Amino acid sequence: MTAPLIAVSRLEKTYLTRVGTRIRALADVTLDVADGEFVTIVGPSGCGKTTLLRILGGLLSASSGSVELLGRRVSGPSRNVGMVFQDPVLLPWRTVLENVMLPVAVLRLDRRAHHRRALDLLGLVGLAGFEDKYPHELSGGMRQRVSLARALVHDPALLLMDEPFGALDAMTREAMNLELQRIWRESGKTVAFITHSIPEAAFLGGRVVVMSPRPGRIVDVVTVDLERPRDLDMMGSDAFGSYTRKIRHLLGPKGWLE
Amino acid sequence: MSVVEDDGAPAEQLSALEEFRRAPGAFIRQRPHLPLVPLVLVVFVLAWEGVVWAWRIPEFLVPAPSAIGRALVAGLTSRLYLDHFGVTLYESLLGFLIAAAAGIACGTLIAQFRVVEQTLYPYLVALQTLPKIAIAPLLIVWLGFGITSKVVIAALVAFFPILVNVIVGLKTVDASKLDLMRSLDASRWQTFRYVTFPNALPFVFAGLDIAIVFSVLGAIVGEFVGSQRGLGNLILQFHTSLDIAGMFAVLLLLAALGVGLHLAIQAIQRRVIFWAQADHIVGA
Ligand SMILES: Nc1ncnc2c1ncn2[C@@H]1O[C@H](COP(=O)(O)OP(=O)(O)O)[C@@H](O)[C@H]1O
Ligand SMILES: [Mg+2]
Repeated sequence: MTAPLIAVSRLEKTYLTRVGTRIRALADVTLDVADGEFVTIVGPSGCGKTTLLRILGGLLSASSGSVELLGRRVSGPSRNVGMVFQDPVLLPWRTVLENVMLPVAVLRLDRRAHHRRALDLLGLVGLAGFEDKYPHELSGGMRQRVSLARALVHDPALLLMDEPFGALDAMTREAMNLELQRIWRESGKTVAFITHSIPEAAFLGGRVVVMSPRPGRIVDVVTVDLERPRDLDMMGSDAFGSYTRKIRHLLGPKGWLE
Repeated sequence: MSVVEDDGAPAEQLSALEEFRRAPGAFIRQRPHLPLVPLVLVVFVLAWEGVVWAWRIPEFLVPAPSAIGRALVAGLTSRLYLDHFGVTLYESLLGFLIAAAAGIACGTLIAQFRVVEQTLYPYLVALQTLPKIAIAPLLIVWLGFGITSKVVIAALVAFFPILVNVIVGLKTVDASKLDLMRSLDASRWQTFRYVTFPNALPFVFAGLDIAIVFSVLGAIVGEFVGSQRGLGNLILQFHTSLDIAGMFAVLLLLAALGVGLHLAIQAIQRRVIFWAQADHIVGA
C-alpha cells in the first residue's frame, strides 16, 4: 500500500480567545486521505471543519498531533495545496485571467507555460471567452468557478474546498457539483471538500467524514459505493437515500443541519 | 456595467445618454431636478440683478451680476487674470503633487511598519489638530514672497487628508484576501503589491479629492499673507481699490479652478479604479 497523501494523526486544536478563554475546536482527529481520493467533510456549524481545513492548508498551526502532506510535516502554506474558500475572493482590479494567474505570479512560476494552462482551466470550468472580464461582470457561480481555476493553476496535488457552493442557489449548486466531479475525474487531484449539505456530501464524496458538534471529532467515515460519474437522477435512488439517511443518523438526534 | 448571468445573457442596462435619446420626455419626468438646477441659478442671478437695479445699490457694495460679468470679460481679455490664474494653479498643483507623493510614501511606511506607526503616532495627532494654515506667516518669513512659500503651504495643507486616507485604506483589507495571499505563501511585498495597495486606492483617491481643494486653499491663504502674484494677491489688490466687481470675478475664477481640479481628479479616478465603482453598483 502506498503512503497516504494526507495523514492526520491525533490532531487537537484549542483556540485561545482575546479574553483568555479556551475554545476546544478539534479533538483527537485522525484521518488518512489517499492520493486521488475525493473526501467530503460534514458536521454541524461551528464543529471545527474550517479549522481542520486551515490546518491542512498550513494557514493555522495545530495545538498538538501531526499533519503530514506527501509524507512531510505541514508547517506552513505549501504550493502542493490549492484552496477554494467559501467566498470566491477574487481581486476586483484583475481580470478573470489575471485572477487565475495570481498564484503563478506569487509563486514565480513560468508565465508563458502557465498562461496556456490558465486558459485551458478556464475552459475546463466553462468560462472560455471570459478571460478579459472583470469579477463584477460575473455571476456568483461564475466567480466561484474562477476561484476553482485559480486553485488549480499551479497544479497542486491537493484541493481544499471550504463550503465553496454554500452561497449559491440550489440549481447552480447542483450544476457546480456535477462540474466539480468532472473536473476532479479529469484532473486526478485529491480533494477535501467541506459542506453543510448531506446530499452534497454523499453525491461528491468517495468517503464522507462525519463530525460531531464542538469539539469536533470524527464520528464515523461513510464510504459511498456509488458508480462514477454520478448524475443528478441518481440522487433519487434508494441506494443514495440510504447513504444520506445513514449520515443523518450519525449527525445525531437533531438529524438535519440548518 | 452589465452583469453577465450564468446563461450568458448580459442584463441590459442603458447609459443615461441612450435613455435620453430614446425617450426624452420620460427621461426628464423621472429626473425633475435636471431642469431645476439651472433654473435656480437663472432665477437667483436675475433676482440679484433686479434688487441691485431697483434699490440702486452702489457697485462698491454689491455689484450686479452684469457688472461682475463685464469685469470678468475685461480681466480675461487683458490677460491680467490669466497670469494670476496661472500662478495660483501652478502653486496649487505643485503643492498637491508634493503632498500626494509624500502622503502616499509616509502613509505606506506608517501602515506597513508598526514601529514607525507607534513612534510617529503622537506627533501625527498633534499635527493633525494644529491648523496648518497658521504656519503660513512663518513660512513667508522663511521662504519669502515668491512662489516657493505658497507651494509649501499648499503641500502642507493637502498632505494630511492624503496621509490619513492612505493609512486607513491600507489597513482596510478583507481578511479573506490576506488569507488567499497567505495560502500562496506570498511575501510581504507581494501581498502589498497584489492586494493591499490596489485595495487602498479608493481611499487614496478620496484623500486626493479632498487634498486638491485644500491645496488651492493653502495657495490662496499663502498669497493673502504675502505675495506678489496670484489670484489671492489679485483679490487683495481689488480690495484696496474697492473694485468689488473685480473681487467677485476672481472668486468665479477660483470656483472654476476648484471645480476643474476636482473634475480632473474624478476623471483620473474613474480610469484607475473603475472596478471600485462598478463593484459598488453591483453590490459585490
Ligand atoms: N480565531 C478563532 N479564535 C477563537 N475561536 C475560534 C476562532 N476560529 C474559530 N473559532 C471557534 O472554533 C469553533 C470551530 O470553528 P470553525 O472551524 O470555523 O467551524 P465550522 O467551519 O465547522 O463552522 C467555533 O466554535 C468557532 O467559534
Ligand atoms: Mg466554516
